[in-house]
Amino acid sequence: MRSVSPVALAFVLLLLSSSKADDAKSLPAAADRKVDFVADVRPILRKTCYSCHGAQEQEAGLRLDVKMRALAGGDSGKSIVPGDSANSRLITLVAGLDEDAGLMPPEGEGTPLTPEQIAVLRAWIDQGAIWPDNAGVGSTESDHWSFQPILHPPLPTPQDFAWVRNPIDTFILQQLDAAGIRPSEEASPETLMRRVYLDLLGLPPTPQELDAFLTDSRADAYERMVERVLSSPHYGERWGRHWLDLARYADSDGYEKDRARPYAWRYRNWVIDALNADLPYDQFSIEQIAGDMLPDATLEQRVASGFHRNTLHNTEGGTDQEEDRVKKTVDRTNTVGAMWLGLTVGCAQCHSHKYDPLTQREYYQLYAFFNDIDESDIDAPLPADQERVRLAKAAFDAEHEKLTAAVKDYEATQLAGAQAAWETTALDKAVVWQTVEPTTAMSKNGATLQRQDDASWLATGKNEVSDVYTIEAVVDAKRVSAVRLEVLPDKSLVKEGPGRADNGNFVLTTFSVLASPTSGEEEPTKIELTSAKADFSQNDWQVEKAINDDPADGWAVSPEFGKRHVAVFEAKEAVGFAGGTKLTFVLDQNYNQSTHNLGRFRLSFTSGQLPVTLEGMPVDVANALAKPAGERTDDEQKQVAAYFRSVDPELNRLNQIVADHAKKAPAASDVKAQAIVQVAQHRQANIHIRGDFLNKGEPVVALTPSVLPGLAAEESRHNRLEFARWLFAADNPLTARVTVNRVWQQIFGRGIVTTVDDFGTQGEMPTHPELLDWLASEFQRQGWSVKQLQRLILTSATYRQSATFRSDLAEADPYNALVARQQRQRVEAETIRDIALAASGLLDSRIGGPSVRPPQPAEYSDLTYANSAKWQVSQGGDAYRRGLYTFFQRTSPYPMLMTFDSPDSTECCTQRSLSNTPLQALTLWNDPAFYECAQAFGSRVVTEVPPSGDLARTMRERARYAFMLCLSRHPTDDELEDVIALRLAQQKRAAADPEATKQIVGKHVVPDGSSLEELAAWIIVARTLINLDEFITRE
Amino acid sequence: MRFEESIWDQTRRHFLTSTASGLGAAALASLLQQDRLLGDGPSVDPLAPKPSPLPAKAKQCIFILPAGAPSHLDLFDPKPKLRELHGEKPPASLLENVRFAFVKKETAVLAGSAREFTKHGECGMELSDFLPHLGGCADDLCLVRSMHTDAFNHHPAQLMLCSGVPRFGRPSMGSWLNYGLGSEANDLPGYVVLTAGRGSSGGVSNWSSGFLPSTYEGVVFRSEGEPVLNLNNPPGIDRDVQQQGLETLSKLNRRRFEQVQDPEIASRISSYELAFRMQAAAPELVDLSDETQETLDAYGVTRKEPEKFDFRGGGANVYKQFATNCVLARRMIERGVRFVTLVHASWDHHSNIDEELGYNAGMADQPIAALIKDLKQRGLLDSTLVVFAGEFGRTPLWENRGGNQSNVVGRDHHPSAFSVVMAGGGIKGGQVYGETDEIGWSPVKDPVHVNDFHATILHLFGFDHLRFTHKFKGLEVRLTDQGGKVIQPLLA
Repeated sequence: MRSVSPVALAFVLLLLSSSKADDAKSLPAAADRKVDFVADVRPILRKTCYSCHGAQEQEAGLRLDVKMRALAGGDSGKSIVPGDSANSRLITLVAGLDEDAGLMPPEGEGTPLTPEQIAVLRAWIDQGAIWPDNAGVGSTESDHWSFQPILHPPLPTPQDFAWVRNPIDTFILQQLDAAGIRPSEEASPETLMRRVYLDLLGLPPTPQELDAFLTDSRADAYERMVERVLSSPHYGERWGRHWLDLARYADSDGYEKDRARPYAWRYRNWVIDALNADLPYDQFSIEQIAGDMLPDATLEQRVASGFHRNTLHNTEGGTDQEEDRVKKTVDRTNTVGAMWLGLTVGCAQCHSHKYDPLTQREYYQLYAFFNDIDESDIDAPLPADQERVRLAKAAFDAEHEKLTAAVKDYEATQLAGAQAAWETTALDKAVVWQTVEPTTAMSKNGATLQRQDDASWLATGKNEVSDVYTIEAVVDAKRVSAVRLEVLPDKSLVKEGPGRADNGNFVLTTFSVLASPTSGEEEPTKIELTSAKADFSQNDWQVEKAINDDPADGWAVSPEFGKRHVAVFEAKEAVGFAGGTKLTFVLDQNYNQSTHNLGRFRLSFTSGQLPVTLEGMPVDVANALAKPAGERTDDEQKQVAAYFRSVDPELNRLNQIVADHAKKAPAASDVKAQAIVQVAQHRQANIHIRGDFLNKGEPVVALTPSVLPGLAAEESRHNRLEFARWLFAADNPLTARVTVNRVWQQIFGRGIVTTVDDFGTQGEMPTHPELLDWLASEFQRQGWSVKQLQRLILTSATYRQSATFRSDLAEADPYNALVARQQRQRVEAETIRDIALAASGLLDSRIGGPSVRPPQPAEYSDLTYANSAKWQVSQGGDAYRRGLYTFFQRTSPYPMLMTFDSPDSTECCTQRSLSNTPLQALTLWNDPAFYECAQAFGSRVVTEVPPSGDLARTMRERARYAFMLCLSRHPTDDELEDVIALRLAQQKRAAADPEATKQIVGKHVVPDGSSLEELAAWIIVARTLINLDEFITRE
Repeated sequence: MRFEESIWDQTRRHFLTSTASGLGAAALASLLQQDRLLGDGPSVDPLAPKPSPLPAKAKQCIFILPAGAPSHLDLFDPKPKLRELHGEKPPASLLENVRFAFVKKETAVLAGSAREFTKHGECGMELSDFLPHLGGCADDLCLVRSMHTDAFNHHPAQLMLCSGVPRFGRPSMGSWLNYGLGSEANDLPGYVVLTAGRGSSGGVSNWSSGFLPSTYEGVVFRSEGEPVLNLNNPPGIDRDVQQQGLETLSKLNRRRFEQVQDPEIASRISSYELAFRMQAAAPELVDLSDETQETLDAYGVTRKEPEKFDFRGGGANVYKQFATNCVLARRMIERGVRFVTLVHASWDHHSNIDEELGYNAGMADQPIAALIKDLKQRGLLDSTLVVFAGEFGRTPLWENRGGNQSNVVGRDHHPSAFSVVMAGGGIKGGQVYGETDEIGWSPVKDPVHVNDFHATILHLFGFDHLRFTHKFKGLEVRLTDQGGKVIQPLLA
């Protein structure tokens, strides 16, 4: 029973303000003599405790017959505190002092201890709980079969050795002999080929491949076929999908928010590639469990560690982050336990189970291996991308080298001459901007304008909705042909200006300049400004609008804030007065909506020729140029040369080519991967009492379960990499057995141990223990090659048997445990999609890459939380990719996949169920994706078997071809008759209802020599064939 | 005998005697004469009806899931003391070991309900003024005020409520019952889900079959458009064409059966036949034209939608959708569907609680009351359990997310106490069971854990929750996980 939350109790106490009566029991005093463990203590423990806390059962994880375990304690912590019996839980419980836990032993389990016995136990503990090694310290070794060393059993010698093709068969046949059962005959070559293809690739053979196999008369034609199939790159897709079931792969986080994981597929790619390459299973595993910790870990090894990132991730509002981390760590522990150890370790998360091999403490010792994981997303270009980028970069670099060489060549051979030629006329044509030094600067609406060191002006203080700055300056030029306004960034301004608006902008509504002689007698005249240019103008706020007649618009610079901008204004006629010219600049900022006033600016003028440039020639350069070359200082020469470089058209042209080319540099891939790293600061792991992460029990260190040969004892802390390697230690009895058993199950539909994820004491016993050990030891001996293991299985006579049911087996072996025949199995969800696409010719067989979204019924994703998972249907070939590439949204998984029993990817799935439901019928009949396959399939049959002139013959040939495409065999005469009858009836019906016929055919084009009616009839036939039980069954 | 095996025995017997109906009946019958071939292999019709292991009052269930968690304090559990303490700080000891999703403890204050509670029926059940129609059924209702759960985020808590643990991967209650009892519906799925408004946090995992085959998964029906995913044939294919295709399909499947003699083929033939029947039955089911105007009015199908509906997860026509779903639920019960789940997901009132909860209660109150009355009038209530249960309750504290007092008041998640309503199916009506403390924080009398709630429901359906198990990953898994006890006083 569950108790009411402590809060409730607290509150009740608070309301009633009552106190709990304390009827303390007395604790017998410790015996006043020296006690001996063997003579005094063990007999008591044996008599009263061992039946529940001994070799057979370990209630609450406590075991008192083994020294190490007894002193370590159970789920609730230490039960013996040497030297302190009063605080030893063992004493508290046998004395009945803990009301919640009750008295030990409990009623019905034994008689309570006498005060004298308690006194002895107390004395023993107080005297140091001495348990001499020569008294026997006990052993936790288990006699459970799966924890014993793997043997390499000798091959049996069954009677009918002629049937035997390889060692597997000797084990199978021996047990069949014993049961008096004959194995089944070999399946037909057609069946065998489809079986091998579906098992290894999840795709059907093409009619051409089938023909080639059927006509191959060599003795080893079958073995050659298996070999070819094993080396197909689609192998990694099929077996990768099996692996993804275990790895609980998905493309989204799960839980309420269920956010997409755009790079989850990068791990899937790794799995496919690794399996295709037959990466030895030990390496394959270690890289996933601890790839991040391998010395000099490669990118691919770190990608492999993304295995741990497939956990759910809760981003729902109010989620406790630590709780989510703990949940993930628990999931990682359980997943690794199930996949490699074949142990349902998760049961021990909450408490020890009395028969299970793992105590709760040991569970958290395993957990501790995974407790230091942190998540990290890394850049992870695909190997192929890396190579592509490398090649493209090399080509680019070569081209770039040429272009930069052209610049260098020009600089070396022609630049000096060009400069000399330029210098002869440069000064005459130069535009030199001279900064004006104002005499006054005023703000109409009270802003303070302060001169800065660079002769610019900074506005501070009042900042009204509009303002007019008036700046007066005297210049000694006799000719002013253009003026320039620079607006400048400043730290004091919003977004560093250059304006004073709350976004850093300004609007210069009207810019005008007046000129007068310095004498001050003449009225200033307005200079007519005819053209304006700027380095940047905001959309619709061009600089020209500062000099037009409309006072409402003007020049602004959003969104290019925090930068210098330049505007130049040319006078219609140059003005100037002998003896100096007084210029009055009027900057009207009358945007009138908010404080779009200038923040910092500088003014300058030029006497140069029009048109002027924004930057012009610096004054220093102009001064240097005015001197003959020979009289210039080195610095001046350098300034002139540098300036020339900036204006030389040819050099600029060449540099521009280099710059343009640089923009085309091949981009590095932007692919990322979800990976993990070890946390910088080690996290202490604790037992979580009753599985509650807030209720921390004793601290634990990372350690492997005691029933298994341990990690080499070391003082230092063990880590995840050591754990991963320990799984593949020569004396680890589980990993190899669990793995070969799972592969066997994936091929035969039933494991040698049927509880594939439970090799513990609660699991089933193996049906063929010697075969299991033989396969496991072979697997180890063959360098953990999964393909070699599969090669062995697929070339056995056992595998090659017919799957036909036998009446003699119905009673003798109803579940086919003895494998006296093969097992018909409905193919898995993804394979159903794949074979329908393959038969219809629609399949896009590209391997790897991001997940895709094939069509799904429109309203389906509405079920997600606030419609968070929108389904944008993929276009082109991506709509026809294999099922394993379908984007897996955890809270609204692709309905077709779920209808056919795909795992929901929330936890490790070692075995899919295979249901048989009306929704599956509706899916194959009507799901748009499958109907499209039926249309394409029907059309393909008509197109690829052109009319032969003989109508009946054509029809038969088409029917045969259709059978070959979807069932990889010819139809029987009866089947042919059924199909042709349907085909004829449908054509008749199509002729009678042209409108419906058009709809049935849809977008498909009638092939030459055929008709709409005929095509429609074949589409109906095709739709029927892909609904056949046999189509979706591997026989 | 393990439960799976006993199920297999029953389904096999059923298959041998009663499946041969419909399209390929004659051929199937001959096929079945070779029954020795069927041997002892895997099950043939996993949804064949099976008797419950123990006597049972409940045969069918309508489970109404107001996802998001309605406030017990504003609907079901009157707390005058909380009103008195309104605005005061709660005692510090109350907040010590408790976690909230959003409430910040430092500034939390108690919050009384603005609702008026009145007594209803002969039993005098107190309900809020948001539930006038349900009040009219009070003497059939069992109101449990002392529920509590283990999870305080929506998705885990919904999983807890639907599948017994706050984690993924377990079968939902409807899946368990279909697994244990099969389905009486000859041409409909045994487990149907109807949704109104937006999706729930749990999505499809709330009606998942977990580790059981997808045969037992809830099938979503829509009240508009195609009632079941892929129910309609592609354009141009009418029922005649479908039937011709199906006949050839069955013929070919039978030929294969004759060759390889795998009973799974027979099972597939019957799946196709059921699918074909469903294609006719499902549209008929959702077609309400044979309901009287009186019935439609009683359920509120024809009610005017409130003008304001732009709340979280509200939406146009939710009133009509929900009322329609209640009518559909009754029609499914009439047709033998074992378990109907009605989902409406917008009850997470962190803010604006008076207006939004009022809107939702207005949507739910009349149709649910009409459903209960209608079932009763048709003699179906005795064997049909109706449940209205959210995933947890809401805090007696105002939401103060980020430490700020929100100006639109609401309540946070509260797993320590909430209320559920049950009726029919062997439940003792006209009673309030359990009590919470004076502020509705925790049960103080007769607490009912979600596992207890499930144990009680299984009992109504004739199962001992401790023995109704399925072995998975080394555990004999049950709906009630590691807990659960039958709450006897709830039983009639």
